[in-house]
Amino acid sequence: MTLALQLAVAGLATGSVYALIALGIVLIYKCSGVVNFAQGAYAMLGAYASYVLLRAGLPAVLAVLASMGVMAGIGALTERLVLRPMLKAPVVAVMMVTLGLLICARAACLAVFGPDQIAFPPVFPAGAVSAGGIFITYNYIAAGILAAALSLGFLLFYAATPMGLMQRCAADNSRAALAIGIHVSNQVSAAWAMSAALAGLAGTLLATLNGLSIGLADIGMVAFPVVVVGGLSSLEGALVAGLVLGVLQSFTDGLLTPALEDVLRANTGIYSVGALQQVLPYALLVLMLLLRPQGLFGRRGAERI
Amino acid sequence: MALTAQNVTIRFGGVVAVNGMALDAAPGEIVGLIGPNGAGKTTFVNCICGTYRPNAGTALWLGRELLGLSPHALLKLGVARTFQNVASLHDLTVLDIAKLGAAARGDAGSARSGGFFGSEKALEAELTETLLRPLYLADVAHTPIQTLPYGRRKAADLARALAAQPQLLLLDEPVAGLTSQEGMAMAAVIRGVRDRFGCAVIMVEHKMDVVMSTCDRIAVMAAGSKIFEGLPDAVQSDPEVRRVYLGEPG
Amino acid sequence: MGTRRLLLALAVAAVLIALSLLLGRFGAYLVRAVAIAGIGALSLNLLIGYCGQISFAQGALLGVGAYVAGNLGNAGVDGVLALLGAGVATAAIGALIGLPALRLRGLYFAIATLAAQAILEYLFKMLEPFTGGVSGLVIRQPAFFGVPVASDQVSAAVSVLVLLIAWLALTRLTRTNLGRAFLVVRESEVVAKGMGIDVARTKAWAFAISGFVAGIAGGLIGFAARLASPEAFTLDLSADYIAMIIVGGLGSWAGPLVGAAFVVLLPEAIQRVGEAFDIANLLSALRELAFGLLIILFLIFEPRGLSSLLPRLRWAQPRRRGAAPSLGEPGGAAVATKGGERP
Repeated sequence: MTLALQLAVAGLATGSVYALIALGIVLIYKCSGVVNFAQGAYAMLGAYASYVLLRAGLPAVLAVLASMGVMAGIGALTERLVLRPMLKAPVVAVMMVTLGLLICARAACLAVFGPDQIAFPPVFPAGAVSAGGIFITYNYIAAGILAAALSLGFLLFYAATPMGLMQRCAADNSRAALAIGIHVSNQVSAAWAMSAALAGLAGTLLATLNGLSIGLADIGMVAFPVVVVGGLSSLEGALVAGLVLGVLQSFTDGLLTPALEDVLRANTGIYSVGALQQVLPYALLVLMLLLRPQGLFGRRGAERI
Repeated sequence: MALTAQNVTIRFGGVVAVNGMALDAAPGEIVGLIGPNGAGKTTFVNCICGTYRPNAGTALWLGRELLGLSPHALLKLGVARTFQNVASLHDLTVLDIAKLGAAARGDAGSARSGGFFGSEKALEAELTETLLRPLYLADVAHTPIQTLPYGRRKAADLARALAAQPQLLLLDEPVAGLTSQEGMAMAAVIRGVRDRFGCAVIMVEHKMDVVMSTCDRIAVMAAGSKIFEGLPDAVQSDPEVRRVYLGEPG
Repeated sequence: MGTRRLLLALAVAAVLIALSLLLGRFGAYLVRAVAIAGIGALSLNLLIGYCGQISFAQGALLGVGAYVAGNLGNAGVDGVLALLGAGVATAAIGALIGLPALRLRGLYFAIATLAAQAILEYLFKMLEPFTGGVSGLVIRQPAFFGVPVASDQVSAAVSVLVLLIAWLALTRLTRTNLGRAFLVVRESEVVAKGMGIDVARTKAWAFAISGFVAGIAGGLIGFAARLASPEAFTLDLSADYIAMIIVGGLGSWAGPLVGAAFVVLLPEAIQRVGEAFDIANLLSALRELAFGLLIILFLIFEPRGLSSLLPRLRWAQPRRRGAAPSLGEPGGAAVATKGGERP
């Protein structure tokens, strides 16, 4: 029982980080119609930016905020320099461009920082709480709470502020938004900036948990199943699906895999099921697409002829 | 009657797009379906053609129920349609489009050609002679459809539908977007098709001059239901039709 | 198929084989790599360029081909049969991956293929008796029609020959009823259905045929490398192949070959330049960086691909305006994309 609780807490923490990244993907999809492969790259770049700023001696809060600012700039620049010239290109070409961005960002970090895992400077105080037999480091608590708070804050911003309203207008129907005087292309840039900033923070948080390497960019690939399970165009869905997937992964890693391996070892020649928690999101994704393709929170659309 | 549709009803959410619609068509007859925008004309055609599955109703064609069948199965029964907006089929030539229709015919079509082996020369010659030439498309047979003017694209779409050798042909606004000269030419082509193939034609159209001069019988739809059916002359004089469709105060 | 095109294809094949004989082992290695990549790109072009089904699982499908051909070859089956077996097995897996496409459209399906890629990669590592697990499967030297493939020149010639056959078969395929149906499905499934095309059957064929060709390409990769390991068939490989068909020009049949040559030869060229400047330790990073940058720049400035440059360079051939294939709606335009891309 205590193990289950411990796994649940750890899963919620990583799950809220997934949610942060997934929110960015959904936001970009809503306003640009593109599934952004570079989201993982934003997370990685944000983490490296925080690392550089922390090593330069900036206080943790400032360093993280500054790296989010840098990432917002990079996100807006991506939209202006790369996405905008491709407005009329086929979807697959635009997706491929974002994949190209991912490849470039990874290669650039590899050239500058090398291939090895780097220990991330402490952002949160060291130590842990232990209550009721479970034991959780401050890192996890802080990362989980920060990510969850930011995700919720973002949802609130999107739902309740004037700028959020403009964002929703621009995303829902850009022609109508233009007609009522919303500067749509600025809103699209803003969405990319926010997405990149959120991903940058998520990357930093992930680096405090697992250390820093270019492998961090792979988080973007985990975020895709999250986004689809939640419903490609639903922000709430991304949040819920992120948490669910985080917990499921944590349980798979901590409970299911050992149990499965015990059974297999007893009955067959197989000793390991490998990184089962890494394929789990994809299995879930396939299941979801077959059973309820619009996702948990998505709506069906129709096509006219 | 060859086609007998009765009580066809389809709802989208709370909206009843087509409500208890009935329509017949006999071989060799051109039936016009008119009505204001949003009356449900295209939706009704989509129901008959298998694009939508209606909530209720029947549509018997030579004794077989059509509703619920896929367009693919319908083509095998001799039911073909044209589209209101001609799809942008970039690389396909006019002849390719016609071959698509011939392929849908199934049995005879695929056996003769269109497979991996063998030549398509015979099929091409046949399609050019029997369809493209009467539709004034023979000179552009090898032109990509995308580069043709709108009127000729519509004609190519008609050629595709005819290549399936239909006995029931549904035309969704065949002259919309055409100049009035092109429209009249198309109307003549449609009458020619009926005369040559003897098929039953149902034609959704807005252009009244074309409808009046082409159709043997006219049904008027408003708000999802049929409000009138009769000969072209009678339609123009019916007060209810004039009120709903032509916008005159009743 | 016009006689001119047939002659052109034969001439290109002859030139490739001659190059592999003239340029020594390294030349043969390059020709083989380009030819095999060309086969894989042709297969993906059928799926993406012709049928409009975006797939990110090509890397894993090549892997399936490599593992199946490798196992068959190791069991003593002749290379030709091993390649055909790889083709059939991969066609089956490809059709399985395509199953969700019968219900899903556009981006949703693209993401489903990401899942297929991830799951196959996992299976490559897990199915140890068949795949050799993480360390991979060592593949013995193959023999074609009983003749062992002893030199790189011979295996290059075999690859070029397979490429020629695949190219002829696939270009012929587009002149059939099925090939025309692919194009209509790409433009609009709703219209295709309305025209009486059996959309599900058409897509299933696209996946099976594309998978068959991919399996053969994968088998050739395995025979060439003498090893099939999980890290050779990752999402990065899928990205390479998508890059090939986009760089070459979607939906054309010369494009994938041009793109394959470009994507295979570019890193080699960078390698040469890098060695000349003595920055070997940064090479892999720089190679990736240049590859990524070129893809981005290419897509921004020449989204219709390299092969669209060819007609412009040639004499006064009239250009077919607007003939560039689009995959559904323009990507950037949010208005157009959202309604249509949902399943």
